Amino acid sequence: MGRIVLQKVSKKFGEIEIIPPLDLTIEDGEFAVFVGPSGCGKSTLLRLIAGLEDNTSGDIIIDGNTVTQVPPSKRGLAMVFQSYALYPHMTVRKNIGFPLRMEKMDQAEIDVKVNTAATSLNLTDYLDRKPGQLSGGQRQRVAIGRAIVREPLAFLFDEPLSNLDAALRVGMRMEILELHNKLKTTMIYVTHDQVEAMTMADKIVVLQAGVIEQVGSPLELYRAPRNLFVAGFIGSPKMNLITGPLAAKHGATTIGIRPEHIDVVASGGTWEGTVSVSEHLGSDTFLHVKVAGFEQVLTVRSIGDIAVKHGDKVSLSPRLGELHKFGADGLRIG
Amino acid sequence: MANRTIPRLLQTPAIVLLLFWMLVPLSMTLFFSFIRYVLASTNRPEWTSPSISNWRGFGNYQYVWNQDSFWLAIHNSLLIVCSILFLTVILGVAIAILINRTFPGRGIVRVLLISPFFVMPAVNAVLWINMLLDPVLGLQGTAVAGANDLVALLRDAPVVGSFFSLWPQFEPISFRATQTSAYAVIMMVTWQWTPFAVLILMTSLQSEDQQQKEAAILDGASRWSQFRFLTLPHLARPIAIVVMIQAIFHLSLYAEIEIVSRGNGNKNLPYYIGELVNNNIGAASATGIFAVILANIVAIFLLRMLGKTLME
Repeated sequence: MGRIVLQKVSKKFGEIEIIPPLDLTIEDGEFAVFVGPSGCGKSTLLRLIAGLEDNTSGDIIIDGNTVTQVPPSKRGLAMVFQSYALYPHMTVRKNIGFPLRMEKMDQAEIDVKVNTAATSLNLTDYLDRKPGQLSGGQRQRVAIGRAIVREPLAFLFDEPLSNLDAALRVGMRMEILELHNKLKTTMIYVTHDQVEAMTMADKIVVLQAGVIEQVGSPLELYRAPRNLFVAGFIGSPKMNLITGPLAAKHGATTIGIRPEHIDVVASGGTWEGTVSVSEHLGSDTFLHVKVAGFEQVLTVRSIGDIAVKHGDKVSLSPRLGELHKFGADGLRIG
Repeated sequence: MANRTIPRLLQTPAIVLLLFWMLVPLSMTLFFSFIRYVLASTNRPEWTSPSISNWRGFGNYQYVWNQDSFWLAIHNSLLIVCSILFLTVILGVAIAILINRTFPGRGIVRVLLISPFFVMPAVNAVLWINMLLDPVLGLQGTAVAGANDLVALLRDAPVVGSFFSLWPQFEPISFRATQTSAYAVIMMVTWQWTPFAVLILMTSLQSEDQQQKEAAILDGASRWSQFRFLTLPHLARPIAIVVMIQAIFHLSLYAEIEIVSRGNGNKNLPYYIGELVNNNIGAASATGIFAVILANIVAIFLLRMLGKTLME
């Protein structure tokens, strides 16, 4: 069904190569997330798959058919945009029904499909309103409704939650996941937010400067980042990356230890340091600790609320089994 | 409240000036429209100066209402205004969409497109009626003569000659004639005001959301559907503005009509008033009041239309 294969796909804007040739397979029914910092080419990659941009070389294969030369509307994909891209002059009903109307579907049939989609998205009460009269979350649901009615081979989401506030974002995240569980359709989701990627994805594709840094399940990426970039990008707070003699002692150029893998102990820890900033979240406490001999401030995550404040001396004990080692080329060792 | 006195006092001169500016001419017109007032009358010299003793009631209105030329003038006013609006909006949308793409020399093309708007109306009329539309000396005359020469040449051609010998001689159209002079006015004002429509519609096109277009492309909308369902609704508001501003300007066209035909057959309302003013001030004032009523009807109609699009 919605298996998407990219073979040696590349994109140049003029002389500038945005995406060097890359290979990627997204299995049918998979929830794949493209994640990376802004300007890493993740949106461009999505637009290449959608057909909104032409790839400079390589082939895009959807459902066994090479679609490189196929116009966007014939690729069987539906896209949800960051700005929702609703048609402002049409009611919600017309917006959702628009792709069906363009297919010259029977009006009665359109009504049935629009009503079904609206019911599943809790939009029934808003069908006769215009997008301007809806809240951000409702607009996003309309955009999703417009994608659902087409019954596409795959859904493409381009940072769909970026314009929503934090609380709504968590709610919409769940709704999209439920939608995926119900429809079991391939979904490709682009985000710069690694938390969204970790919570939603079956498969995460980490991109940087158009290059795929690593592909894997969220926990694979968390447990065994392939290189320094992925190590720093996945996980919140960020992994502590330590260079210098300490790293050399472990036979690496850089060692990484996640903040949650450093324990605060009463005394006799491996490292002694001074707290510069402590962030108390109730469920967790994030400590930024200056340790003598380290260039970098260490981030430590403790479960629960521990009573430390700025200027306190703490003793830290890293779990050495959770240590990540990276070589001079930035790649993982062992 | 006491502290409002000074601001109001300071506003007073402007408001008083504005009141005089509007009220004095309007009340004078109203007054003249109810009295007999003619500039030259040998039989009734008392009518040559405005006086309440020459009261005529609604006589002037009745007189104007019963004139065929008054109704012809209203008919002509509406014909000219509506035709210009129709043509400028269609041409404006088409040209705006055409030059909204990127192409080499776009900047120069845009400046050239705007330039007709900077030509003075009288100059515009003189250029059109003499250099372009003149049946003998203008471009029209030259083109018709050239076409006739070409057909004459082709009549002697070996194969197609018999076909062309069936063709009649082309006749140039005189745009100063009673029946055609309104078309000349419509043409020249359309030429002059299309840039205005292009300017406003082009700026509006540039604010069109590109993601909506992309969503429509993915939804399978053809180029025509994108125009019909996205671009045209997006342009509804600026089109309403173009229509309203132009309607106000074109209801008072004068220079073009004066230059094209001196009102020969295609008088519009302002020109008709202008002719009456030469002698019958009373009737001219009554017509002026009719013109105010007509303009108000048009304005209310247009404001409704504009208001409706703004509400959406």
